[in-house]
Amino acid sequence: MAEQRNIGLTEIKRVEQYKDRWTSFGANTGIIEISEKLTPAQLRKFEIFQEYDDQFLERISPDISIARWKKTTMLFEEGSYIDIAFFLVNGSVDVYLEKQRAHSSGPIFDSSRTVLSLGTEPLQKGQARGADRTVFQMKSEQEERRGREKGSKEITFLSVMDFDIPSGGVIRLGPGEIFGEIGALSGWPQSVTAKTVSQCDLVQIRVPALRLMRRKSNALKSRIDKVYKERSLLAQLKATPLFRGVSEEFVKALCQKVELVSCDPDEVITKEGEYPDAFYIVRSGFVKLSQRLGEGQVVVSYLSKGSTLGETELLIDGTKGWLYTASSKEYTELVKISREDYQQIVASYPMIEKSLWSSVVARLKEAGYNKRNIGQSEFIDTALNAGLVEGNSILVIDLNVCTRCDDCVRGCADTHGGIPRFVREGDKYENFIITRACIHCQDPVCLVGCPTGAIRRAAVGDVVEIVDSLCIGCQTCAKNCPYDAIVMHPTKELWPDNMIPEGLRGKERMLATKCDLCYSSTAGPACVSSCPHHCAFRVSNIGEFQQLLAKG
Amino acid sequence: MMTKVIRKVAGSRWVQSPNWFWSFVLATLVSVVAYVFNLALSEVDPGNIWGISYGTAASILMAGAGLYAARRRTLKFRGLGKSFSWVQFHVYGGALAFILVLMHTGFRLPAGPMNWLLWILSVWVTLTGLVGIGLQKWIPRILASGLAVEVVYERIPELVQQIKSQTEELIETCSEPVRDFYRKNLAPALVNPQSRFIYYIDITGGIQSRMVEFNYLRRFLSSSEKDALERLEAAYKTKLELDAHYTLQKALRWWLYTHVPPSLVLLLLIIFHLYAVLYY
Repeated sequence: MAEQRNIGLTEIKRVEQYKDRWTSFGANTGIIEISEKLTPAQLRKFEIFQEYDDQFLERISPDISIARWKKTTMLFEEGSYIDIAFFLVNGSVDVYLEKQRAHSSGPIFDSSRTVLSLGTEPLQKGQARGADRTVFQMKSEQEERRGREKGSKEITFLSVMDFDIPSGGVIRLGPGEIFGEIGALSGWPQSVTAKTVSQCDLVQIRVPALRLMRRKSNALKSRIDKVYKERSLLAQLKATPLFRGVSEEFVKALCQKVELVSCDPDEVITKEGEYPDAFYIVRSGFVKLSQRLGEGQVVVSYLSKGSTLGETELLIDGTKGWLYTASSKEYTELVKISREDYQQIVASYPMIEKSLWSSVVARLKEAGYNKRNIGQSEFIDTALNAGLVEGNSILVIDLNVCTRCDDCVRGCADTHGGIPRFVREGDKYENFIITRACIHCQDPVCLVGCPTGAIRRAAVGDVVEIVDSLCIGCQTCAKNCPYDAIVMHPTKELWPDNMIPEGLRGKERMLATKCDLCYSSTAGPACVSSCPHHCAFRVSNIGEFQQLLAKG
Repeated sequence: MMTKVIRKVAGSRWVQSPNWFWSFVLATLVSVVAYVFNLALSEVDPGNIWGISYGTAASILMAGAGLYAARRRTLKFRGLGKSFSWVQFHVYGGALAFILVLMHTGFRLPAGPMNWLLWILSVWVTLTGLVGIGLQKWIPRILASGLAVEVVYERIPELVQQIKSQTEELIETCSEPVRDFYRKNLAPALVNPQSRFIYYIDITGGIQSRMVEFNYLRRFLSSSEKDALERLEAAYKTKLELDAHYTLQKALRWWLYTHVPPSLVLLLLIIFHLYAVLYY
């Protein structure tokens, strides 16, 4: 194992947090020893790698390290985004809730925000919309709404926690246990804080390797799924509106039967016409629903976190095949319930059937309408590609009114020390341009893997910000962002000669920049307030964009 | 009749903010009532209390309207209100200022070279302002409706160069007839962004007519050559759309030269005029 590096010599304070790509996500650097670029033989010493061949292990080796951690070291904090799963070899780790349970159990997803509304009423002239509100106002409105809707069936608690820990409780993990994998694989923030109890040896597996390992090995997949089912699925299913009122025993039994499905981007989940063998609940990500039209496929709807698929095919008698081809838009996690189990649920709980019938009617109505109106289908496709579904605050510009004066960009640059946080370019839809400004995603994948934690939720509304003083310009966030909303800017500063890691020494420091919604200003986003022609808008969901389109 | 026209204007796309519009209408009405009152009581004279009041109000409004230029350069000061409000004041305040200038002169032609200069500049600035409003309402709409491409004006030369190098790369793989066609018909057009007057009249017509040139050549080509020709066609179409943006966005920028410098001269002359009036 490599010698521990003396990080105390580092000139820049932020670098103290950055030992290497493996240890940087935590606030502490309590590593005693670390080894990476392990040979297949070295990896095979650990039980978790034993079933893989040499070629495969060579391939995943760059994303694996073995670290020895000091005792009472924090591995990760509740709310942090990490791209590593831990396999505990020796020692023990405590996982616990650091913050209030009330905070972490709050609904991170409100499906009503992304429901595509047909025939939405256009905004009245002069009516306030998202663009006119500050993020502080938006936050309080959200909180108010969340409070109001607590218990409403629109809210889904799926995928909130990867440990079901009661308030004040602690779970002690021992050798052979795997943790951190749910948040890492899904891009969710960690729901707990993990701290070493004794000196620990941990195998640290980055997400790309973990995905490959899980895909290749049914045993590992079963193991990860088993852990997930044991630790959190029960609590999540119980909190899902669909299963409200269902007995605990029934949900417990269901937990053991369901299958957890993970999809890569653009993976087909169901194929139109094929036998409908299951019912799905989306845990994370987005699923595109399309139907055959002529020689091609037309997008008719989409599913987001908490949505269900299969109720139409399984409820309507005589439906021989899937009505839709469902494919994942990004990395997507689903709960799969077999046809038999589904039928048992429906037979046992009439209120579930009633709720599903409402969903069937809404889906058929939406899909039918969109298939007959190609423009609407094109709109959904654009919305999925441009982030209108995923985003919390999307900058759109009405090109019918925009004089291309660029005051929006100038205002942004002036507010951010001369560096604009977006360019007035992007996808064009009708008379609007959906700019490549950060859309502040519901599940921001840019946060995953940041080695210093420089990119983070700003704790104000849904704002994702980059802390300049922490950014080391590694480009991880820029590469992760599917919407090209993060831009690397060169600075005139050079990294010092004792910089860790070595690769950066003497090189020019780059800085990742993106929109922060000007959250520190009560005047709202500068792009909107600097627009002299009232043509720049911030929309918080697809419905608001439809309202703008309807207004013309 | 007059009320009907005003209401129609207020509801049209020309009026972005009904509040500002109705405030302008109200302020104009007040000014007209004051002017009628003035006529009933005494003769209109730029030098009496009535005339000086019109002139002072016009000067204040013009100075306020002129501050918009300063506001555009101080966007980092976020507490100074939205740019939209500044523009609305610039437009309506400027229009009201011109009405007050006319009242100041009693709707008569001025006497003396200085007064003539002030009067001509006021008319010029108001007219170019109105032309600017017209251009800003008209050009964005045709750019948005007729073109698939949306582009930042400053990036057009760079994008044209990109298209040029891509097509040059592509043409190396093509047969002689396609190369010949490229050399004669396309290469000259791809050198740099070009302004063409036709885009003002018909933003799509100019492009479509040029794309027809490809049709005849297509008949003689193999399927792989047709693919290359289609890519050339697409690149050329994009270039023509960039030209359309270049032409029309340039108009939106160049118009400012007819409005801003005369406005500055007018403001300076007003200061001189005020000094002269107060001094003498």
